[in-house]
Amino acid sequence: MEESAKHLIEITDVHKRFLMGDTVVEALKGVSLTVDEGEFLGILGPSGSGKSTLMNVVGCMDTFQEGSYKLLGIPVESLGDDKLTILRNRLIGFIFQKYHLIPKYTVLQNVMMPLLSRGMRYEDAARIALEKLRMLDMEKRLAHKPNELSGGQQQRAAIARALVGNPKLLLADEPTGALDSKTGKEVLKLFQALNDQGHTIVMITHDLSVAKSAGRIVRIIDGELYKEEAT
Amino acid sequence: MIRFGEILRLVWINIMENKVKMMLTSLGIIVGAATIVLVIAVGRGGQAEVADQFKNLNAGAIDVSVGDGIDMDAMFAAGGMPGGMGGMPPGGMSGGMPNMGGGTRGGTGGMSGGMPSGMGGTSSRRSNSARPGSTRLDMEDVEDIKTFVSGVEEVTILQSADTTVFGGVLEEEMEATVVGVLDNYDTVSNLTALYGRFIEAEDNETNAYVAVIGYSLAAEIFEYAAYAYGDYLTIDSKNYEIVGVLDTMGSVSSGISPDTAVYIPYNTAEKYVFGGQESPKITAIASSVGNVEQAMTDIEAILTENYPTASFDVTDAGSAMEAATSSADTLASLLLAVATIVFAVGGIGIMNVLFVTVQERTGEIGILKAIGFSRNAILLEFLLEAALISVIGGVLGVLLSFALIPVLEWTGTRMENSVWGWVLALLFAVVTGTVFGFYPAWKASRLNPIEALNQE
Repeated sequence: MEESAKHLIEITDVHKRFLMGDTVVEALKGVSLTVDEGEFLGILGPSGSGKSTLMNVVGCMDTFQEGSYKLLGIPVESLGDDKLTILRNRLIGFIFQKYHLIPKYTVLQNVMMPLLSRGMRYEDAARIALEKLRMLDMEKRLAHKPNELSGGQQQRAAIARALVGNPKLLLADEPTGALDSKTGKEVLKLFQALNDQGHTIVMITHDLSVAKSAGRIVRIIDGELYKEEAT
Repeated sequence: MIRFGEILRLVWINIMENKVKMMLTSLGIIVGAATIVLVIAVGRGGQAEVADQFKNLNAGAIDVSVGDGIDMDAMFAAGGMPGGMGGMPPGGMSGGMPNMGGGTRGGTGGMSGGMPSGMGGTSSRRSNSARPGSTRLDMEDVEDIKTFVSGVEEVTILQSADTTVFGGVLEEEMEATVVGVLDNYDTVSNLTALYGRFIEAEDNETNAYVAVIGYSLAAEIFEYAAYAYGDYLTIDSKNYEIVGVLDTMGSVSSGISPDTAVYIPYNTAEKYVFGGQESPKITAIASSVGNVEQAMTDIEAILTENYPTASFDVTDAGSAMEAATSSADTLASLLLAVATIVFAVGGIGIMNVLFVTVQERTGEIGILKAIGFSRNAILLEFLLEAALISVIGGVLGVLLSFALIPVLEWTGTRMENSVWGWVLALLFAVVTGTVFGFYPAWKASRLNPIEALNQE
């Protein structure tokens, strides 16, 4: 118990196989990974390396055939669809490459969503969402729709949404992939600042220069993880 | 899980974001709901129409007319059967006369003596016209029914036909229903006079040229019904003094609409207007509704005795009313079935659009699932959306029907709008939306978040 409580993420020998047509593709070939609270981990890998699959497993959106995954000591592989949904809502904040804001809702409403899904009242959710948006200098854009914002602003809104539920883990999938390099650097700086405040971040990228913002890097190649030296 | 009220708020944002699309989606429901309201209004209008037509009708009324068909039993009885003739000597059957068993019309002269016992117990009181088609009811039948049928309190006879009339402000002759009646016809048919009086016994005894005219016809011929009273009406080229104008009755009795009919004394009609061409009808009023059935049997028995080769249509108002009501009901349920089909089509429309919507919003569903919306929350969101579109469609449909009802009324269809119709329309709308919305909503709720996110 003590062992698992120490690590936020504890993935042990996870195998994930897909059926693609008639052939079985093994996307993860016995991956083991631990992440401690307060860490900033970069997972680096080219496309087709299995990093998206790993991201989905870490994000509790996908199941796997073998191995085990404990998130904050909770055995993820034993949970059903709805329990996984609750787990994601409580413990994980997602930041996607394409922001994935919902176009018809305002920035404020988008950021409120994780709280509303917990059953919080609209007014309370709005108050907390406003705090997070203010923290990210987005308070002037509350009533805007996502398509009225620049890419950097959209990603800030998405980060606000990821943070709003006070998750234990921020999971970022190519967070700078759709941004120009200047804005991308600002986002990475923001990640470092959040990490300094104590947030645990797992960031997946194919770009070594991006991965270098992380405190620790692991490489994934053909479904297997390799350790990388600390930066 | 997300609060119901908050889901509703999200659904509302959604609908407001896509007003035109939602409107088009609900078009089927709008039409369906309007159809339901109209159909129920027409159905209830039809029922009310029937009720109105029969409102003055005496439930104990029994109408008798000579049937078109030939009673086969009577024909056989008249066909010279040798047996069962009550010991009639064969010699009595001279001349190939039809052999009349008990209860027949009297034979003509050919029924020479030697067969009195054969006729035992019955009175065949009149000469027989061997052709059943020429059977005519007459005053004697009325007297027979009065005398021999116990459960009957009024009996009357009438004959009617469309005849040319002229008078008042008319510029040319017109056709109107002319009815020859006895003085008790107003009691039998619950007619009341607005001006003057009804036909009286004396009018019949003297073959008087007097007429009582229905309200609408009076207004048509004389411009104002009041002008008719005391004026003269030409019926079949003879002048009749109008001694009475009836109240507006609205009902139909013995197949005659009193509002558009002219009543004249029966004997006058028989003698001067119809000349024996029309087949008279007898109307009897049973003393109570419970007696109707027995009275009908008795009347038929007496008439069969009087005219063994003829058949009679004996109908009671109660059955006629039931038949009319039931045909109005049948119409109403038929229309409702049509409306249901309209709804089903509307529902399929909703289902189609929702399927497309689910596809379009796959990315959104993926995001919501990733950040914590459970399957039930997604299901509820889409289901509520379908239900809300339907409710809006239903309300718009009911409003549309308010606009359409006057149009239909203007075309002469009787409409009875009712809350019951609105409620049913809304109920159908919600049920349709929910039922047809369920499958797309369920599909949405089962989407895999990864695939959904990748699709965007």
